[in-house]
Amino acid sequence: MKDEAKLMDCTQFKEIYHELDRPGTSGYRFRERALSHAEGCPRCGALLTEGEALDFALRNLAERSAGWEASPRIEANLLRELQQVKLAGSRKRIRKQVAILGAAAAVLLALGIGVHQRVTSGARTASPEAANVAGSAAAGTAKDEVAGSSATPSESASAASASANQADENEYAEEFVPVPYADDPAALEGGAIVRVTLPRSALASFGLPITESEGTDRVSADLIVSQDGTPQAIRLVSQENANSDF
Amino acid sequence: MDDGLLLRRVIAGDEGSFTLLYRRRHPAIYRFALHMSGNVAVAEDVTQEVFMTLIRDVKKFDPARGTLSSFLFGIARNHLRRRWEQDRHSVALPEDADELETLLAVCAGAGKGSPSNGNGKAHAPFLVRRDEFTSLETVARVRQAIATLPENYREAVVLCELEEMSYEEAASALDCPVGTVRSRLHRARALLAEKLHDEQPLRRASAVGE
Repeated sequence: MKDEAKLMDCTQFKEIYHELDRPGTSGYRFRERALSHAEGCPRCGALLTEGEALDFALRNLAERSAGWEASPRIEANLLRELQQVKLAGSRKRIRKQVAILGAAAAVLLALGIGVHQRVTSGARTASPEAANVAGSAAAGTAKDEVAGSSATPSESASAASASANQADENEYAEEFVPVPYADDPAALEGGAIVRVTLPRSALASFGLPITESEGTDRVSADLIVSQDGTPQAIRLVSQENANSDF
Repeated sequence: MDDGLLLRRVIAGDEGSFTLLYRRRHPAIYRFALHMSGNVAVAEDVTQEVFMTLIRDVKKFDPARGTLSSFLFGIARNHLRRRWEQDRHSVALPEDADELETLLAVCAGAGKGSPSNGNGKAHAPFLVRRDEFTSLETVARVRQAIATLPENYREAVVLCELEEMSYEEAASALDCPVGTVRSRLHRARALLAEKLHDEQPLRRASAVGE
């Protein structure tokens, strides 16, 4: 025992005497040696006694304060806060969803307006050209490459009298436009519609404007031909429809 | 049910889990705040603020950095410091004998569970038996001595001695190395022993004077 005590001096004892009962510390590990040292050293013995008294007092205080609790009012306040946070969270989620939907709607609306404006501005630019077509007095014939089949032109004849502002965007017309030298459309009974491919430059002879195109120099068109073989009205055919069966 | 699971349920908005967690963890926070401030109202405010913070910023808790308990003590510590910066109403336990007796009675009431806390163990606050006085007086003196310690030392004593935290847990709560906690506690205990030792003869002298 005395041999063990000799292993610890007063400095070492003072370092660890306050944690002799605290597991995991060096004081707890060298507890026996420290106690042996205190037995043989009056000053360290007094320190140990004082430390034990302090431990007792602190334990006493800890025991007495063990039951201390905040008032129930605090718990009630916190539960209210939790409910508000939950509510705010769900509101925030809803607001976020609404914002996303709103943004999507705005994008769609903007796209729709854009498309609409493009369509209307295209129609506006096409109107003067169509008016020119109506007022043109140029004459000509289209004899090139007849490719279409015949059909009753009675419905198309009425379409032939449609105004030029119904023409399709740019150079393509969906409706028949009477050629400048056409007879009375009512006299078209028994006529036929033929599809032809003709040079773009020949459009002028049908009273249509010649516009620059990124495509080829040849265009497809439907002609209403009277019984005597004279073209009465013309409509340009877009490329998508050019190859379709008539 | 461990704290982690309860916390996950709290995040999901489960009030029952929050109540369970609060009832499990708040007494230690309240005691810490009360020992550190010496003021019941401040302790309650701090306790409320700690759990408000948990409700609002529950995702700030990182289990990799320490236990929930340490996290809550850390928040409590920050709130206490903020409050001390706002108003310097520091701990001022009464020296006067009459005031001391009143305080002891209140302490006894609080220690056993005040009637307001509804746990059924309450003592009437002012029914302090005379034979308890000596130990209650000792308790009050120890409280007073702790209250006069510098803040860092006080934290170490409250966490390691009164809340029986390990050095590691206290270090996590105080956001400092384990060695710092150990040395602060060592120094705090020496100061406490000194204060209590010095006070004893004074009281005896005043008793003789009467």
